Amino acid sequence: MDALNDHDLEKLNDKDKAELRLFLNNESQKARVQSTVHSLTDMCFKKCITSNIKQGKLDKTEEGCMANCADRFLDTSALTMKHLQGLRQG
Amino acid sequence: MDSESVKQEVIKQVQTQYAMNNARELIEKINEHCFQKCVPKPGASLSSGEQTCFTQCMEKYMSSWNQVSTTYITRLRREGGQ
Repeated sequence: MDALNDHDLEKLNDKDKAELRLFLNNESQKARVQSTVHSLTDMCFKKCITSNIKQGKLDKTEEGCMANCADRFLDTSALTMKHLQGLRQG
Repeated sequence: MDSESVKQEVIKQVQTQYAMNNARELIEKINEHCFQKCVPKPGASLSSGEQTCFTQCMEKYMSSWNQVSTTYITRLRREGGQ
């Protein structure tokens, strides 16, 4: 289908505009989650997949390491926030 | 076009765009990590060993992505439920 132009967008009625607004909010939230997953995977793959690659499957150790790595990184970012908040109030 | 079909078209285009960005990001990361891991000393051509390593590395990276995604989403749900 062709690209939409401004003229097409003017045809949207209020109900459809509201629906689109909701849809876009949801999509950008999903995109933020995915972008976090990309950067966590990037970082943790480096930490967890250290030996030579002999098979395509993740072994149990690597799988556990990836999950722990993601979880612990999120712990530390929460800790940073908490610490900074403490500094602000202190 | 009426309002409904304009809306559907916007939704379709946004979804395609997001899916493409996501795929591009994943492909970039796979190339970066797996080239690093599987082609330590680039030769005159890609050896069959390097190619096997690359395919397996790619599979591993995608499984890793899924593992991280599951972990993160579980955590978001848990924290959202508090």
